[in-house]
Amino acid sequence: MSAPPVDEIERIVTAALTGDRQAESRMLIALRPGVLAVLRFGAFHRWVDAEDLTQETLQIVVERVRARTIDDPRKVFAFAAATARNLALNAARKVLRQQTVVDSELVDELAQNMEMEQSDLSEQDDRQLAEAVAALLEELPTERDRQLLMRFYLDGTDKQQLCRELGLSPKHFDRVLMRARSRLRTIIERRAPHLALLPRTLSIFLALATTFTFWVRHFGHW
Amino acid sequence: MKSLDRQSLEEQTRLVSRYVAGDLSRSERAEFEAWLVASPALANEVEMERRLRRGIASAARRGWLNRSSTRSVMRERRWHVAIAASLIMVLAVGWVMVSPRADHPQTAESRAPAKHAPLVASRTVQLASFRGAGGAPDIELSRASAPGELVLQPEAVVLTCEDGSMEFECPGGGARTTPQYPEYEADVVDRARAALVWRSPRQMPVAGTQLSFALREPGALQPGDYDILVRGHATDHEEIVARFVLRITQ
Repeated sequence: MSAPPVDEIERIVTAALTGDRQAESRMLIALRPGVLAVLRFGAFHRWVDAEDLTQETLQIVVERVRARTIDDPRKVFAFAAATARNLALNAARKVLRQQTVVDSELVDELAQNMEMEQSDLSEQDDRQLAEAVAALLEELPTERDRQLLMRFYLDGTDKQQLCRELGLSPKHFDRVLMRARSRLRTIIERRAPHLALLPRTLSIFLALATTFTFWVRHFGHW
Repeated sequence: MKSLDRQSLEEQTRLVSRYVAGDLSRSERAEFEAWLVASPALANEVEMERRLRRGIASAARRGWLNRSSTRSVMRERRWHVAIAASLIMVLAVGWVMVSPRADHPQTAESRAPAKHAPLVASRTVQLASFRGAGGAPDIELSRASAPGELVLQPEAVVLTCEDGSMEFECPGGGARTTPQYPEYEADVVDRARAALVWRSPRQMPVAGTQLSFALREPGALQPGDYDILVRGHATDHEEIVARFVLRITQ
């Protein structure tokens, strides 16, 4: 299942802003993956339960949409992102207040949480991911692209320096990264589909669950 | 947030890598995250960027990445540069030979044999805080082709709040902008003899720029491995904040 394009989501949100309740439920489904992404990939992802906070964020967004205090769909996106981020920041502060007494302990805590993040995939998944990436690097069309990825991701070499040394424009550099991500998705979907599809399936399921909750709460039936 | 057109989405897609690396400014990040909410396709890009980073690191840890072939590209590129340089040199020599001789003393002086000089005047090396896996040296130089000056630019400055804390947000909601130490210096230590062979002048970190230490005549160092130690200095203490390995070969 492919994600709806941006302009389609914008149309849905525009309709929701006019008070259309059906559009509102479609808006919740459409915004959910993005809000979840902000929470899963944002600065505080180690300290938050992304699923819980997505629910909370969408609830606040819906209330704001119904209050008609926002008139532009683009402001709804920005508001949802800012709300998710603030909720995540508050959750992270709460965790750190509970767990941290002095600076050195904070450092330990950070290290511990980073370690937890590193092990969020099972050994088998990690191995499959490494195999997929090794396959990706093998089948890159030019050795230069391979070198670019290795030096950028592994050595941490600066983009400007790589462009200079490999004779690439910044746009070309970005295109190589975009193609690599796209190709990796294809390889993962073929070799270890659960690594790519699980979040999508889960996302759709949870979006439906959220919509169901809202409908039952506000209209008394599904 | 700009208008939701395809071009703006592509602009944001180019920021994916910096977003995952945590390199976006506050305003860039806010705009990027608004786009994340609006575009599940962008969220997919972020997910794949994380997978790519994780997968490359994991493959390297397992020893599955053959780095020698990447070196061959560099060699290939160096060959191209060498051929281009040779052509330029041939043209230059040809021009000197066919151009009329002048007996003007200044001209004669300029043709006097030059002192031995390195092939490359200066080389700048950026040393990322995330170092490569596998125990390879961060910089490798041969004495024969060493530049006249090696400029080291380590990513070693950690930013803190004004009170020295490392909270996510500083008091008042600002970002961390104060360098952890007011001064930094770099040492080059001969590993075999455990002896300091060079120490840079101290320098104050400047916002938006990297530290930069210039080591003159690195080709004069004896072959072997050297530790480059970057040290932060406060009034009451000092600390090694980064360490890199320099290898000099014959």
